[in-house]
Amino acid sequence: MEITGQYLMNLILNGLLIGFIYALMALGLTLIFSVLGVVSFAHGEFYMIGGYVLFFLLDTFTGLNPLIAVVLAGLATFVIGFIFERLFLRPMAKGEIERPGEYAILVTFGLAFFLQYIVLAIVGPYPKKAQRFFDLPTLDLGWISSTATTLRIFDIPLSAARLTAAALAVILLVIAIYFMYRTWTGRGLRATSQDKQAASVVGINPLNMSTLAFGLGTMLAGMSGAALVTVFSWVPAVGVPASSKSFVIIVLGGMGSLPGAMLGGLIIGLVESLGAGLLPDPNRALAYKDAFGLAIFALVLLIKPTGLFGREL
Amino acid sequence: MIELDVHDVYKNFGGIQALNGVSFGIRGNELIGLIGPNGAGKTTLTNVLDGVYKPNQGEVMLNGRRISGLPPYEVARRGLGRTFQVTRAFRRMTVLENMLVPAMALHPAARQKDFHDQAMEVLEFLTIEHLAGEYARSLSGGQQKLLELGRLLMLDPDIIILDEPFAGVHPKLMETIYEYIMTVHEQGKAFIIISHDMDSIFTLSKRLLVLNYGELIADGDPKVVKEDPVVIEAYLGEEEEEGPTVIPARRLAISEETGEGDDA
Amino acid sequence: MNRSLLQWIMAGAALILVLAVPLLLSNYPYWLHVAIVGFFYAILASSWTLLAGHAGQFSFGHMAFMAIAAYTTGILGRDLGLPPVAGIIVGTLLSGFVGLIVGFLCLRLRRTYLALFTIAFSEILRLSLNSELDLTGGPNGLHLERLLETTSRVPYYYIMLGLLLASLAFMYWLARSRFGLFFRAIREDEEAAAAMGVHVVRYKIMVFVITSMIAGLAGAVEAHYIEFITPNILIIAQMSLVIAMAVIGGIESLVGAAIGAILVQFALEFLREIPLPEALMPWVVEMGPRLEAIGLGVGEHGILTNAWRLVVFGLVLMLTLRFARNGLIFPIIDRLFRQRARKETVAKRVQAGEVEP
Repeated sequence: MEITGQYLMNLILNGLLIGFIYALMALGLTLIFSVLGVVSFAHGEFYMIGGYVLFFLLDTFTGLNPLIAVVLAGLATFVIGFIFERLFLRPMAKGEIERPGEYAILVTFGLAFFLQYIVLAIVGPYPKKAQRFFDLPTLDLGWISSTATTLRIFDIPLSAARLTAAALAVILLVIAIYFMYRTWTGRGLRATSQDKQAASVVGINPLNMSTLAFGLGTMLAGMSGAALVTVFSWVPAVGVPASSKSFVIIVLGGMGSLPGAMLGGLIIGLVESLGAGLLPDPNRALAYKDAFGLAIFALVLLIKPTGLFGREL
Repeated sequence: MIELDVHDVYKNFGGIQALNGVSFGIRGNELIGLIGPNGAGKTTLTNVLDGVYKPNQGEVMLNGRRISGLPPYEVARRGLGRTFQVTRAFRRMTVLENMLVPAMALHPAARQKDFHDQAMEVLEFLTIEHLAGEYARSLSGGQQKLLELGRLLMLDPDIIILDEPFAGVHPKLMETIYEYIMTVHEQGKAFIIISHDMDSIFTLSKRLLVLNYGELIADGDPKVVKEDPVVIEAYLGEEEEEGPTVIPARRLAISEETGEGDDA
Repeated sequence: MNRSLLQWIMAGAALILVLAVPLLLSNYPYWLHVAIVGFFYAILASSWTLLAGHAGQFSFGHMAFMAIAAYTTGILGRDLGLPPVAGIIVGTLLSGFVGLIVGFLCLRLRRTYLALFTIAFSEILRLSLNSELDLTGGPNGLHLERLLETTSRVPYYYIMLGLLLASLAFMYWLARSRFGLFFRAIREDEEAAAAMGVHVVRYKIMVFVITSMIAGLAGAVEAHYIEFITPNILIIAQMSLVIAMAVIGGIESLVGAAIGAILVQFALEFLREIPLPEALMPWVVEMGPRLEAIGLGVGEHGILTNAWRLVVFGLVLMLTLRFARNGLIFPIIDRLFRQRARKETVAKRVQAGEVEP
């Protein structure tokens, strides 16, 4: 296998495209961690559910605008996250739970188990994949050309599905950033994440902020899944590597650091793509794809147990 | 005889120099008070002595052997015990079990029942023997403090460092703690007591160490140290920032000058 | 005296019952199999309880150690012709060795980071097992030699039961010994434990090595019983199941976790099919397609629950965590066999002013 500049570019571009969606998903997890102080071990399962909701929406309501479907998928995961937080996590903040640290890990782990199996039960194990949202216009300008399914820049193929997903992720990231830094609620969330007591003194209800943060976090995960279900084949177990990736990203980027999470997402997308593409044995490479990020993650944890930059747990 | 030597210890974190060339020695069963304004480095010094931190420079010798750089459990075994500012009893273990942990740690060949009587004796001395079978978490704050002190004794250390033993303690408990310190001291152990409670420190200690900004600015007889101008300044500097009575007066003065007020 | 005698009689009766099960179930080899698998999970759940509940190390790599031994004995059997018993020994030792390394690597990792790291370790192992087709057979799995030259399940029942009882006895002894004291001190407050002279490094590594060896032993033996393993034994969902069993049984109780595991295993089997009266069956068949649409199925005598049984356990896990932190089984054992009731009452009496604090 020859490694040409073009091949490398292919890997880099495709890696970045996926990286944007990972960034969105990781942003959700960072939001949850920074406001609640909890790493949700079920984050990948919300990503998984988002994908399924989108698939079934588009499958059932054929005329539905896919962008609306993505939003609806996000709403679905928001609601599930909201309910879970109110029932199982809020008691922690109210001091009703012994050994909350241990509890948070176990109960979100339990949620992951529950969600994975409930989806498996309802949907079954056979893979699903959604149709790409938009066909690209056909065009040919030499260096850049496109068919319905693929865009070609300097002969590097980028699938329409992947492009759409990435574009969607970028738009959502921008909206999310605007929300967090420019709106009152967003600032409230950030204030709560920095100092709960101080925030409550100025009239922000930390309990409600926590619920909101969790719901928004799971919503972002759900929308990431909704974007990627057009790219990847979906099974109920797809949440597990997604969870792992999210953990890797937030530890790399720093727990609680919003920009760190986004940067981390792009890095992991690149690492996976390059790792899979550059490993000499193509069969192994694909199977180990998920392992690259994990390996880096394990190494980072060993060298710096609190992540690259970001606050301590 | 107990010998502790702290040679020129430096400790910094990132850009902050927490300890700046601290040196002192202990001979025999001294009863030393360690005082200084907030942030002076008292707990950092304790952590260095205890092995939680490794000094960047300098060394600590206990009874002729180097303990700086050793992990806390080794330091504990060599004869240095300490308490923490916040009581840290083993909550989901019984009071008796709490007491047995250091005993078992120090005596690899012993069985738990070998130390049962000794543990009960110490608990009795601390007036909490009736709680022996209770989980530490159901004890009151004061009782947990006493448990910590008892636990220390089971370690049989030569030197005991108490970090704020009197903080938030009611008078009756204070008495028990005083008695503890005096009795154990008479039995031959050295104490370093960190406290902001000046009355207690001056009553108990025969020698005073004063830290300020990581430096040892005084070391000697409490009566003398009390009058030392350097020490007074160190504390006065802090009082001005913290004392509630000072600030309103200042503000009042300023507002009078600038003419602010309801009728301005 | 009376109470103590009663406790011994109850324990004795339970033991006799458990030993006699194969005789009672000799016509139902399937249920013997369920029991054997139940014992296997019981060993895993109770050893995880020692690691997480007693020593406070919330490691999610437990199944990985189990898998290491299973694959080791399988591979050595296939490539070197090593007999099962030898393979089991080597596998167990290797699990212990990897446990040593992982324990060492985890020394500086605090709770959530420990959980994340061990998940990563487990997943990397699983992905490797899936990819290294030449070595492990990949997703197609690995065949192993049977442990005994018999088609009956009865000897395996006693072997697994024996392993369970032996490991419980060992871990119970450990928990009551100085080591248990140190493990719990480390769990409660590692820094304070160190200040009290507890060699935290040694004991944290020790608990990893011991529990990974126990998990490995169970895994290797089970592998030679089932005669087949795939990387799916390592999936996170399996770890979740073991955790659910430990939590439901009682995360601080070795026996509670073991019993919890056995009960959950049997419950999962019982719940495979919800029996309905024969009269209702025609209606069930008619409802077939609609049932299937939500993941249920039509069985011979009732409704097949399929994956829904596990959904139920996920829910039970979450509810147990929320409302019964000590587990569901442990409180029962505690009332029957201990006198812990005394524990909180003295404190209460102090509060009521009856006793001087």
